[in-house]
Amino acid sequence: MKSLFHTFPRTPLLVALLVVLPAITARAQDPRIQLTHLDHLATRASETVDLNFDERLILAAAKIFNDKDEDEAQIKKLITGLKGVYVKSFEFENDNEYSSADVDSIRSQLREPSWTRLVNVKSKKDGNVEVYISLTGSQVNGLTVISAEARELTIVNIVGPVDLEKLAKLEGKLGIPELGVESTKPKTKNEQ
Amino acid sequence: MKSATLIKLATVLMVASLWANVSHAIGDDFNTVVKMIEQFYNVKHEGLPFLAKAAMKAVGVGAKVKGGEARVFAEAGSIKLATFEDQEFNGDFLKFRNSLNTALKDTWTPLVQTISREEPEQNYIFVREKGDKFSVLVVSISSREGTVVQATVSAKNLALLMRDPEEGVKTIKQEATIVDHE
Repeated sequence: MKSLFHTFPRTPLLVALLVVLPAITARAQDPRIQLTHLDHLATRASETVDLNFDERLILAAAKIFNDKDEDEAQIKKLITGLKGVYVKSFEFENDNEYSSADVDSIRSQLREPSWTRLVNVKSKKDGNVEVYISLTGSQVNGLTVISAEARELTIVNIVGPVDLEKLAKLEGKLGIPELGVESTKPKTKNEQ
Repeated sequence: MKSATLIKLATVLMVASLWANVSHAIGDDFNTVVKMIEQFYNVKHEGLPFLAKAAMKAVGVGAKVKGGEARVFAEAGSIKLATFEDQEFNGDFLKFRNSLNTALKDTWTPLVQTISREEPEQNYIFVREKGDKFSVLVVSISSREGTVVQATVSAKNLALLMRDPEEGVKTIKQEATIVDHE
């Protein structure tokens, strides 16, 4: 009897594609970015903070935050639906302790088609702040902030439905640093 | 022996061995971390003196937190503590961090990790669910001192820890090392 692979010579290729394609698609749509490329900076940084709120912890937090406590109720509302909050932050004693290649290791992941850079965003802090959102159709399913100052590099990656307003409210909470991010969208007549 | 029986037997053995491994890992993480620190930094830990342990049991909870509103973080009788005092902690902290994360990755979720080279100090908080409560494993290492604390905390106290993880490390560390004799 002929083997299956002999009868259908393309079967191995098809099987491989069936196994690999979903993984590739999932990876392309996954708004979680890899921050481990930056780990080596910890040897040069004076302060390093690495924060991981994965889905399990967020679900736990959503259950345990008390609605009667104003602060906790607000955080609960903000994190409900999120699938992860990841922060990596480095503070350096001197300028130029991190390279553009370090930042590019993050930017390169944000070149996936699902990511879009928001141009109408600035920060109250010095330095360069880039904000990217990940979209599935018209739904935002992730946000990444790269805050690159002369002596500080911070990456915030939020997975799940999030917008700038939500991010601004989360600043200073759950270990998320103050980024001073705000939209520079022109005000409407009513707002002026 | 029939192949179906063999497969069943192999499956049972595999499941049993996995279960045993997980149980072993969950049960021994505190000791694993203490031993890892001892081996990595060539230091020796000190357990709690017998009298302090007795005092903690009598009080029910290890300590009260000083600074701000005094509160009890850990559940009664839940604290495991190992301290390293007046010893040299010289070593590659990134290598240590990687070893620690690798050792705990299957049984704990890393919440926050901070490294300060100025102080120098490393702090790690790992969390996992324990019924309706949570287990927290805190590892804190400075240039001459180290602390490993494993404690069971209520959901409310985990919420406090999540709201301000950095402050949470200090709080749990203080709580585990200041015995309240009241």
